[in-house]
Amino acid sequence: MADQGSAGSVPDFSFVASGPGRSHADAPEQEGPASVPPGNPSVTALWEQFPDGVLRNRVCAGDEDVVYIDPGRVTEILGWLHEMPDQHYDHLADVTAVDYGGGRPIEVVYQLWSIPHRAALRVKCELSLDGLEIDSVTGIWVGADWLEREVYDLFGVTFRGHPDLRRILMPDNYAEGHPLRKDFPLRGRFSRAEQTRRALTQDPEDYYMPGEIGERTPQLVGSGADGGHEVVGSGPGAGGEEDDDGL
Amino acid sequence: MGVDKPGVLGAGTPAFLTTRLDFVVNWARRNSLWPMPFGTACCAIEMMASAASNFDLARFGMERMSFSPRQADVLICAGRVPYKLAPVLRRIWDQMMQPKWCISMGACASSGGVFDVYSMVQGIDTIVPVDVYIPGCPPRPEGLIYGLMMVQEKIRGESLARHGELRAEDPLAVGRPRADDREVADLTGPFGNSTQQNQVSGLVETGAIERPEDRLT
Amino acid sequence: MASSTVEYAVGRNPEMGPAGTPVPSPLEPFDAPEPELGSQTMLVNVGPQHPATHGVLRLVVELDGETVVSVVPRLGYLHSSFEKLGEYRTWNQIVTLTDRMDYLAPLIYNCAYVMAVEKLMGIEVTDRCRVARVICMEMDRIFSHLLWLGTWSIDVGAFTPFLYAFQQREKVYKLHEALTGARITTSATRIGGMMADLPEGWTKGVREFADNLPATLDEVDTLLTCNAIHIGRTQGIGAISAEDAVNHGLTGANLRASGVPYDVRKDRPYYDYENYDFEVPIGCHGDCYDRYLVRMEEMRQSVRILHQALDHLPGGPMDVEDPRVSLPSKTDCMSDMESMIHHFKLITEGIPAPAEDCWFSVEGSKGELGMYVVGDGGPKPVRWRIRPPSFVNLSAIPKLSEGHLMADLIMINASLDIVLGEIDR
Repeated sequence: MADQGSAGSVPDFSFVASGPGRSHADAPEQEGPASVPPGNPSVTALWEQFPDGVLRNRVCAGDEDVVYIDPGRVTEILGWLHEMPDQHYDHLADVTAVDYGGGRPIEVVYQLWSIPHRAALRVKCELSLDGLEIDSVTGIWVGADWLEREVYDLFGVTFRGHPDLRRILMPDNYAEGHPLRKDFPLRGRFSRAEQTRRALTQDPEDYYMPGEIGERTPQLVGSGADGGHEVVGSGPGAGGEEDDDGL
Repeated sequence: MGVDKPGVLGAGTPAFLTTRLDFVVNWARRNSLWPMPFGTACCAIEMMASAASNFDLARFGMERMSFSPRQADVLICAGRVPYKLAPVLRRIWDQMMQPKWCISMGACASSGGVFDVYSMVQGIDTIVPVDVYIPGCPPRPEGLIYGLMMVQEKIRGESLARHGELRAEDPLAVGRPRADDREVADLTGPFGNSTQQNQVSGLVETGAIERPEDRLT
Repeated sequence: MASSTVEYAVGRNPEMGPAGTPVPSPLEPFDAPEPELGSQTMLVNVGPQHPATHGVLRLVVELDGETVVSVVPRLGYLHSSFEKLGEYRTWNQIVTLTDRMDYLAPLIYNCAYVMAVEKLMGIEVTDRCRVARVICMEMDRIFSHLLWLGTWSIDVGAFTPFLYAFQQREKVYKLHEALTGARITTSATRIGGMMADLPEGWTKGVREFADNLPATLDEVDTLLTCNAIHIGRTQGIGAISAEDAVNHGLTGANLRASGVPYDVRKDRPYYDYENYDFEVPIGCHGDCYDRYLVRMEEMRQSVRILHQALDHLPGGPMDVEDPRVSLPSKTDCMSDMESMIHHFKLITEGIPAPAEDCWFSVEGSKGELGMYVVGDGGPKPVRWRIRPPSFVNLSAIPKLSEGHLMADLIMINASLDIVLGEIDR
């Protein structure tokens, strides 16, 4: 199988394959303190487009541009970054959160990458501990689904409008809290005996209920921006009971 | 009877042999151990390497990896077991038929290993009874094979006369932890320095971690 | 050209649709009309302990007959809380955690982590270390792809390639062992260098491995690439278009099989990858068969990189001479008071990192592997986050598998090349 040499004929992304050796040449690196102008033109554009939505920006670790934005306008700003042809951040690399402890606000961090423009941008939103809610960006990048679920699971940040906001890594009935918060002890809150007992009382078939997928499908279909994560469809709610009676 | 066909042990030998029942049963059991590979993490990769051609577990009668617990003889728990997986492990153990044995492969399965954290079972012996512990992170394939040979040695010493003692199962114990609370606390107690380590990096001292809702103490 | 399209050696199934459109499986037995009976879908549970889920993944599948209506993956059965544990370890101690996360390509994780911390601390490693790490990473890319090849071929029903792949993997195990003493959990890197210099004759062993691998790949090629069963089970299965693949966050071979030549080694080069002569294979249909071809070709390209790196491995020291991170020599410790105190402080207190955050991504064997480290000026991280490539890749499985047969779901899962240690962390 000699596959080398046959040229890639992908019209949409052909400008990416422009050869090796091209790094950040068209985006010169800015070094120095955090107050200097950014290396990424998107930061300047963001300041012009959203003068009241962008709170501040800084340059981290030499060449990484970080923009702090208003958490209330996250879908608007990130959607703009995704849609505008001269920004076009089409690859959402990561959604995560950072808890600095000591009652300081929890940061939700979005790592963006533009495949056509080869530019990186880190967007942060600061959420105070008494208002851990932010809009979901699953409407912009579908890939944010599980990443946001993980942040919800481990940090307790609620994403409004997420189609399926449940715990993803910990069991559904996990009672000890959100593990990656700084006030969560490494070995958990309960004793090992209690943890073992609780672990074994959970039924492995617990999440294998016939209603689960039935509940879930209409949520996925009707996931509007403000749909919330309430059960919409034909779950084992009132409607389901009536059906049972009828049978 | 006219034609002189040689028997098992050569021409003219009788078609029977005398032996002890214990010996022949144990001989049969120990040379056709079918493993149930409960592989979760790194150790499972070494288990796969043991089954591949360089180490070739089939030499020892583990020809067939039995992915169904109902036809398996020895449960190889290879890798770390979180609490979320604990009921699955217990159910697989309960589904296995007697006689059955269990091997805890690797540091994480045996003691939790480096993962002295909120989500990990600190040794699967709190969940299921274990016959052989294999140390290592992960153990080499030779280690796994040695552990399986130790199970074979253990079978050699078993007796059908002690069947009730060795093999009887309490139906009420199904799905329960193997160890009671005190034993779990002993087995999983902090060792090493993990509880002395503080979380916030260097500049701030937080001391040992308190577990306010710990019901045991 | 930085990229090349992988082409089929044999003709494709003519009934296939264009990329992205769900294509009915060619294995669908017949198109008998559905009897007009009241029917309902069936739930089938796959996993968490199942030989074809490549770990403790659990899939709850809703089936209409044998056709998948929806898939709900359930994770967390291997949640080992690496990120929480990292907050309790000093920067150098975390290295031992990284290889237990992706045990299929441990050296890539070792390297990616220390590269992130070095960027955070502003450390430039030596030339020898850069090339040595490139060798390590490319060797483990092959190492990981070989395991994928073995399990993939078992899932498709062929056992022989599994044995071939493991014979080659044993050679890498031996190289790991010579380098670090461990077969899988290598922990080979340290901040500012490697745990030790390359042992004598090690590069010769790597070169032998790189020389012999293509023959094995050719053998597997003859077994699988034109195999009618293999083609029938993988072509047109689990196709995803380029736009959808990007939107779902797919990376690595799964994204490139859809025709997007996004490779971190080319697009965000690190460690002089721009100076190596290699190509990024891309597919055009985005189905399981293209993912297979792309990975096979990636192994050959990694062999090319290995040869170039071995040719240009410079001499000189392996570790940086930076008093913040490098330990004084044993002789100095024994004869010089300041060196001994320095050694003691580095070991007991750890290395301080600045109060900043840093994102560093490399092209892992599964996709874009990102490390996000946040320091606070102390010797332990405030946050250590891994961008797990197979976590995001797996999240596309409901989209990939809807409308296919239950048996195809196993192939789709195998084609994504997941590792549960990294998904659940």
